[in-house]
Amino acid sequence: MKIKVISRSLDDHLSSSSSAQHPLQRNLAPHLHPFSKPREYTRAVTAAKMDRMFAKPFVDALGGHQDGVYVLGKDPRRAAVVAGGGGDGEVIVHSLALRRPLLKIPNAHKGMVGGICWTSEARDGKRGMVTCGKLDGTIKVWRSEAFAPGLKDKEVFEGNEFGSGSREASNSFLDTAGAIGESGMEFDEEEGGGLSIDAAKRDALGQNLEPTMTYTSKNGFNSIDHHRTDAVFATASNTVQIWDENRSAPLSTLAFGSSMETVTGVRFNQSETSVLASVGNDRTMCLYDIRTGKAERRIMMQFRSNCLSWCPTLPTVLLLGSEDHNLYTFDIRKLESPNQIYKGHVGGVMGCDWSPTGEEFVSGSYDRTVRLWNRESGKSRDVYHTKRMQRVFDVTYTPTADFVLSASDDGNVRIWKSDASKKLGPVSTKERQAIEYRKKLVERFSKEKGVREVHERRHVPGSIHNAVKLKRDMIESRKVKDDRRRAHSRAGKEKPKAERKKAVLKEHK
Amino acid sequence: MDALLASAGPISSSKSKQWSRKPPVSSHQTVPRGQGKAPIDPSTHSILTTTRIPSAFHQSTLPSGSGATPIRPDPSIARINDKKLKAKLSRQDVGNKRAKQEREDVNEWLNKAVSGGNGGIEVDTEEGERTWRVRQNDIVQEVGVSVRGKKFDLKMEDMGTYKVDYTRNGRHIAIASSKGHIATFDWQAGKLHSEIQLRESVRDIKFLHSEAFYAVAQKKYVFIYDQDGVELHKLKLHIDPTHMEFLPYHYLLTTVGHAGYLKYHDTSTGVMLTQIPTHLGSPHSMAQNPHSAIIHLGHANGTMTLWSPNMTAPHVKLLAHRGPVNGIAVDPSEGSAGRYVATSGMDGTVKIWDGRMWGKEVRGWKVRNQITTLGYSGTGMLSVGGKSGVTIYRDLQQNTHHTPTPYLTLPMPSLTASSTRFCPFDDVLCVGHERGISSLLVPGAGEANFDSAEADVFETYSRRREREVRGVLEKIRPELITLDTDFLGHVNEGRGGETFVEREARSFRQLGRLERLRATGKADEPDQEGLEDDAEGAEGDADANAGEGVSRKEKEKRKMKGRNGSTKRYLRKKAKKNIVDNTLLAMQAKVAAQKKAEDTRKKIQSGEIVKETGALARFG
Repeated sequence: MKIKVISRSLDDHLSSSSSAQHPLQRNLAPHLHPFSKPREYTRAVTAAKMDRMFAKPFVDALGGHQDGVYVLGKDPRRAAVVAGGGGDGEVIVHSLALRRPLLKIPNAHKGMVGGICWTSEARDGKRGMVTCGKLDGTIKVWRSEAFAPGLKDKEVFEGNEFGSGSREASNSFLDTAGAIGESGMEFDEEEGGGLSIDAAKRDALGQNLEPTMTYTSKNGFNSIDHHRTDAVFATASNTVQIWDENRSAPLSTLAFGSSMETVTGVRFNQSETSVLASVGNDRTMCLYDIRTGKAERRIMMQFRSNCLSWCPTLPTVLLLGSEDHNLYTFDIRKLESPNQIYKGHVGGVMGCDWSPTGEEFVSGSYDRTVRLWNRESGKSRDVYHTKRMQRVFDVTYTPTADFVLSASDDGNVRIWKSDASKKLGPVSTKERQAIEYRKKLVERFSKEKGVREVHERRHVPGSIHNAVKLKRDMIESRKVKDDRRRAHSRAGKEKPKAERKKAVLKEHK
Repeated sequence: MDALLASAGPISSSKSKQWSRKPPVSSHQTVPRGQGKAPIDPSTHSILTTTRIPSAFHQSTLPSGSGATPIRPDPSIARINDKKLKAKLSRQDVGNKRAKQEREDVNEWLNKAVSGGNGGIEVDTEEGERTWRVRQNDIVQEVGVSVRGKKFDLKMEDMGTYKVDYTRNGRHIAIASSKGHIATFDWQAGKLHSEIQLRESVRDIKFLHSEAFYAVAQKKYVFIYDQDGVELHKLKLHIDPTHMEFLPYHYLLTTVGHAGYLKYHDTSTGVMLTQIPTHLGSPHSMAQNPHSAIIHLGHANGTMTLWSPNMTAPHVKLLAHRGPVNGIAVDPSEGSAGRYVATSGMDGTVKIWDGRMWGKEVRGWKVRNQITTLGYSGTGMLSVGGKSGVTIYRDLQQNTHHTPTPYLTLPMPSLTASSTRFCPFDDVLCVGHERGISSLLVPGAGEANFDSAEADVFETYSRRREREVRGVLEKIRPELITLDTDFLGHVNEGRGGETFVEREARSFRQLGRLERLRATGKADEPDQEGLEDDAEGAEGDADANAGEGVSRKEKEKRKMKGRNGSTKRYLRKKAKKNIVDNTLLAMQAKVAAQKKAEDTRKKIQSGEIVKETGALARFG
């Protein structure tokens, strides 16, 4: 007779010292883990709730503009420098890390600023800012040490630490602060800290700053975009014009046929760098190639598009923000219908921008909200609004994809987190693992009602809530009417048209 | 690890090969090194080229487990057209399968290797030894000193009969006598937590989520005491309680009293969840299914009912015995996972039921002494306690035709076991009777490998604190208690609160995705018309075995003809309503095609048509 019984030694199961970890024994057999699915589900609900609890997307508002901000120009090669162009012709270069202006140019243009972009030099010190005026018909190139360290503005910086200080040390902080001598962390409080030590000096610099180059035209410019690598930029007026930085007259003028309708936006492709697209007042979107110097394709849509943006990772994908409250992505090889319609706004979409990964994008609308989207889903992932934010006219993702910026009518550039509940600052491994686990849980149960309701619910202002309801009712009644019409007409006569097929009216080749 | 091994490249089998300077073929980008030298593969730098993997690690030599056969996704996934969806699903499927396999590997190679199977008593049957003849004293003689202490008796004279309960980790025990003597203690360390004399009748005792709280069903109400025996709560809503159960993952204290009301009380919030009248009088027994949190009640009229807080009627009502059902136990072991239920009745029988099919018991047998209580152990041993002793059975799912041979008999002369509980994660059975309690050794009864994240036998104070907080955070909502524990996360096809008329009135654009796909005939689901499948199958069979006349005739008999076919019935109903929709048209077309095929077949059979066999036949 042999008898085997359980006999556990304390040595194996008690921690060896008071500070040591309690020894764990695992057995993954399912019968020892009852209710695994309900428990996981409960955890997912908690995770969804925590996600909403920590969702504080608003970071800061960058003020200083006298009028509304209508255009944003981010420096695509630096994480934290963005310029805002106002309705009164003022351009302010903001540092996101310092959350204050680096430079204010009060009278950059007479009347509204049409567009801002940055030149393509690889070195930060040599880069300039290009702005165009909507009314005065000028394009100006600005270069200053205030936002592009490496130049010398002697009259301003003489004698202070930037002019004579160690260049290497200051350069090392470029990425964080975007300006010289500032790490964003080490303020010299006695001197007032960083560049704003001398708000007066900065203002004086901005007042006296002269553009290094000015181009003029009869027409005002609605939009401007710089070539990714070459010293070439494109502007939008009643035609699309291509300019060389070193020549005062445009290199070429592009238009589809003899169209002279106003072009409102123009953007270069990021990968296929000589291709550009424009949107215009005549409800068209047009593709050009600067190698052939011709307009290649054009589509006419049901409504006007206000903004456009090329996907940085998928060269053929183009995003349009339309006056009909929707956004559309197109594959430019197949323009007869959009790839995806993004519905959610209740006002015309005024600005849109892709995240650097091309998986997500942000849009700003006339309905005073900013929405964030996944490329593959037609419903917005998040919606941002505040009481004081007015009509949003431009939005942009920062190059690190951590933040989105919105420029609105109320004269502020707002910084939002691109992931509302993401923790800023260092995250320990344990914490990161917990966050990833929670994220996965929510994803896994995201179709389940209890999780979905928490995860997808967004509070929006009453006006937008009502507008959403009204819009839903209108669309529904229109559809009901269609149904009835179809029911009382000959079978097969009035076939329903797919929503995607409705957007594009005509394609011109 | 697999990837690392794979990147090390193939292992040279012979010595001569090792010396030949042939550059190994690699799919990686390599750095050329000039004439006659092998290019460098930077990815293999972590493993030297001379490294040899022990043959036991070769994937092909593993007898089973993760490396034995390549894991392939389910073939049904291949039908999906959407590439991304297909990739995602097959990735998930492979991941699930791999996780399962690895779990099995761990169980096979680690758990069983460490514990050496389930343990137990091995006897030489040829020499006439039988396990049920082994006495407690024999066991005590055989086992080590550390285990001997687990067999003990607490003698309490004239205190009435005792009820016992263990905590979930099996570390602590609570005893309650019918005359009001209550005690809780850590039985392994021999440390008494509390001892009180209530001086009134006590019918049941149950630990709550930890040893710090326990509930006592007293004469009038249920009371909750803490570890030191201080009365914390008097649950006035639980009147005249007779049985109690605590659902640890839901934090629900469930009681039933003489009036036959089943009551669920949330112990984390103190709110009474629901009171359900059973309408079957005072129950004789109560048990919970630890895998589904369903409460089983045994009644005086011989029925067993299954309850959840979400329904006012029982999920299952079962005539189990002729006479009161006085013992119920649910098998929590690996093979059963809450599927098998044992009941005992005053009629002197024990029956095992399968929760998937309640129609007939899996097995049943008569027991000579009067049974009073049942209990299941972690490895699926059943203890049957009654007059003058306890009998223990094992392997009840095998060889169900005969009366099972007992595994162990624990005679207790002139005593009646009023309550038997197996200690979780230990080979111990605790029996409460008229003279106190007896803790007895039952080799092989306990699950040897506990999981300290779930129930830690050696739980420290800080870990208990952690577990309590996490437990409350992860408290499962009572709505999730269902018979089918896997329902969560499945597609609910029906729309709630919609009448048939409303459903029919919806236009195409108002349909759900699945309904739209169905309407257009694109839904990817198994064929609904089983009967038609049968018919087609019969046709196929008929072709195959044309020689066997009898079987063919039988098959043809089964075929639906005339007005009785389900499809035809459906069509008749639909056509009467004079509504023409896509499904109807599709169905009509299908029936017509079938009819045509059948006609042709018959004509060919009767020789009316000569079947073309030439090369052009396919165009006919």
